[in-house]
Amino acid sequence: MTIPADLKYTKDHEWVRIDGDIATFGISDHAQEALGDIVFVELPEVGRSVDAGEAYAVVESVKAVSDVYAPVAGEVIEVNEELEGEPEKVNSDAYGAGWIAKVKMSGATLELMSDDEYNTFLEE
Amino acid sequence: MSELAKTPMFDEHVSLGGKMVPFAGFEMPVQYKNGALKEYTFVREGGAGIFDITHMGQVRVSGSDARPFLQYVTTNDLAKLACGQVHYSALLNDSGTFIDDITTYKISDSEYYLCINAANRFKDVAHLQNEAKSFDVNVSDESDDTTLLALQGGAAQTALQPLVDTDLEKIGYYKFAQVKVAGTNGIVSRTGYTGEDGFEIYIPNAIAVAVWKQLLANGAEPIGLAARDMLRTEMGYALYGHEISDSVTPVEAKLMWITKLDKGDFIGKAAVEMRRAEGPEQRLIAIKLTGRGIPREHYKVFADGVETGKITSGMFSPMAGGVALAYVKPEHADAGALSVEIRGKAVPAERTTLPFVRSNVRR
Repeated sequence: MTIPADLKYTKDHEWVRIDGDIATFGISDHAQEALGDIVFVELPEVGRSVDAGEAYAVVESVKAVSDVYAPVAGEVIEVNEELEGEPEKVNSDAYGAGWIAKVKMSGATLELMSDDEYNTFLEE
Repeated sequence: MSELAKTPMFDEHVSLGGKMVPFAGFEMPVQYKNGALKEYTFVREGGAGIFDITHMGQVRVSGSDARPFLQYVTTNDLAKLACGQVHYSALLNDSGTFIDDITTYKISDSEYYLCINAANRFKDVAHLQNEAKSFDVNVSDESDDTTLLALQGGAAQTALQPLVDTDLEKIGYYKFAQVKVAGTNGIVSRTGYTGEDGFEIYIPNAIAVAVWKQLLANGAEPIGLAARDMLRTEMGYALYGHEISDSVTPVEAKLMWITKLDKGDFIGKAAVEMRRAEGPEQRLIAIKLTGRGIPREHYKVFADGVETGKITSGMFSPMAGGVALAYVKPEHADAGALSVEIRGKAVPAERTTLPFVRSNVRR
């Protein structure tokens, strides 16, 4: 299980990469492993506004349906359409090809953890 | 909460990376380290998948009245069951609804072996023992002493043959033999719940781990509950607690083929006849989503924009897409324009036929 150092994490096991005012969202390696084989991703619509902590996407594994929550508020400017045909990328490359959405940030954020803090959080 | 039971294979499951979950009072593997999809594919593509289904119950019915007793407490016709043959059947209550669905093995006219659902074990045994009071018959619950392994998939026979003293080729579909498994008495039947060729193997707990390990050494791979449910749903096989329960009769559940109204009296017969005459309140149908999404249990089904029922089993099938079994109102059973409500949205669906994917059982 990996926890890249250049990302921030939430207690709901989402990751966010902040680059200027653009944030990229996904779910952590721990989350994809806990879910098991992912067979469907419901993406948000481009142009939608999301609040920090709001469910913006749905990830479905063989046995479970899970909401995915936005780590920071903003407007969705891009979604990973490849996940519609290849949802398994969330399992195989959670921090890369498995990204879910990009938002233009508008300020509010959840409490975000560093990689070390998230690692400690997982061990607790 | 009472302590969960463990099957003899518990340590094996854990060492194989099994993700253990509570299931019918047992700790059972929902999947192993490769995940449910790979396990499912292994079975569908000709491997030999091994399933620990020891949680299921086994009951031996013996005595001079064994046949008339079972003829009275089960729905299928014992007169048509030969020695060495298995049939699918059910226990009904007086209302004609399901106590359980079962398989019946005929050893002789005075000895039968039943396989029952884990969650219904104590209810079934109490019911059978209560009804047995009027017959010269003994009902013995052998569940605690028996391990049940299912070996399913195209390579099942190859993996099992070295362990048994009988030519498996001679055991036809829904037939069984009392054999030596790893030198110990057991029962092997060509039955299963996956739509693939394969066997169910009843053995004493004492040799369970040895047999399990030997099957793995012969190329079998362990399969968890998630893949098992995918395989059975693709076949449209009913599951107690989903398609069948104590609130539906065989008329609704499309199980009149195991309910023989011409065999004489049996528990629930009058109620089933009445339900058939009145017509069912709901009908079980097979549906396939034509829009994007995964239909799941409890989701609402609409016909021509009107809510008509609910899904009882639903899944993403790698071969057939979003598929489900659902109960709908009889007037909508042939409706063209169906939809499933997923997170508040109507996703279009169509009625289809079962099985959702082609069966490879040996006829």
